[in-house]
Amino acid sequence: MRMRQVLDAWIDGELDRATAAEIEQHIAACPACLALKAERDALRLKVRDAAQYYATPAAFKAALHARLAARTPVRATRTPGWLQAGVFASFTAAIGLLAGLWIARPPSEDPLREQIVASHVASLSDTQRLITVASSDQHTVKPWLQGKIDFAPAVRDLSMQGYTLLGARLDHVADRQATAIVYRMRNHVINLYAWRATGYNAEALTLQSARGFGLATWADGGLRYAAVSDIERGDLERFARLAQAP
Amino acid sequence: MGDAEKLLRFETTVLLHLDAAYNLARWLTQDEFGAEDAVQDASLRALRFFDGQRGPNPKAWFMAIVRNASLDWLNERGRHGVTEQYDDDEHGNAGEAVATEGPEHAAIRRADARDLHICIAALPVDFREVIVLRELEELSYKEISAIVDVPIGTVMSRLARARDLLTQKMQSSLRKVKS
Repeated sequence: MRMRQVLDAWIDGELDRATAAEIEQHIAACPACLALKAERDALRLKVRDAAQYYATPAAFKAALHARLAARTPVRATRTPGWLQAGVFASFTAAIGLLAGLWIARPPSEDPLREQIVASHVASLSDTQRLITVASSDQHTVKPWLQGKIDFAPAVRDLSMQGYTLLGARLDHVADRQATAIVYRMRNHVINLYAWRATGYNAEALTLQSARGFGLATWADGGLRYAAVSDIERGDLERFARLAQAP
Repeated sequence: MGDAEKLLRFETTVLLHLDAAYNLARWLTQDEFGAEDAVQDASLRALRFFDGQRGPNPKAWFMAIVRNASLDWLNERGRHGVTEQYDDDEHGNAGEAVATEGPEHAAIRRADARDLHICIAALPVDFREVIVLRELEELSYKEISAIVDVPIGTVMSRLARARDLLTQKMQSSLRKVKS
């Protein structure tokens, strides 16, 4: 029983490196644990793919915002107009506001990383902006991009691996025109950016995080790539490896 | 901090997690109105205690309050163990994904999703909540431990047990279909 729990924690990426290494060694020689791992992986995929994620009803959201505003007594003489707007604003607007704060922050030690995360956040706040060509078919997305730009990023169908292609748009990274290919994993959006960068012919995958978002970057054949999302690190790494695969 | 500023901060740091909170409340209460009641009570309670500096994890803090409100709602009605009817039309996720498949595939996927839903819904609350928090919300053991208010070791054993139970239930529902 104890082994089963530790195995679950290992599958969930919750063990420290030393314990994880021990488990890996054990599993290689233990068919029972290997079978349990396969069973858990299958269950996890199934639950994440098919279990219902209940969306908050829009009418309830609006009513809740109104209730909260009413519970906060505001002196009538000092009620600023933006409060009224703010209180009844939809959630998209709240996120948009956050994106605004974000961009207004002073640049940190890595402006490129900040810019990509800010672009990701901005794209989430506006579904109109997120996707210009909406298609789950790579053979529709790729020609659309080719008509707009002079480089050809790979567009892969990763739906079997749990990453649904939603479409693409044009964006900017590092003052250059970039493509953003948009995927979804459960209810999380992944933006995969690609842009021209002379001299970047082969650069290994690097994972980092900024302000709660994971960022995976690599380069290949004069193009730099960055995948950004709020999915788990392990899922983002898997996505990046699949996106990289020749 | 003025009231207006407080409300704005509350909206942008705590209420930002409304969708996750609602999903949890809905899975716990298994009732549309129960979820709304619980989330509304929890939001008002959270706003009352919100001081603008909600520690490192406002999401876990808010979800813990929502969880408690959901359990209160269940207790008041003595409704532990009652299972909500599964509604195909409401099931957005699977419907979206099947759009490009043939009708037979689609039917199998719908049936699969329905079985899975019934099996998760039938888990005791202690196990159901860790499955929802881990697999649907993708929270860490630490966050789950803060929300459910048990040590990390307990989160670990409950998750393992919950997955064992869920696997058993899925297998027995599969057997029923075959026979």
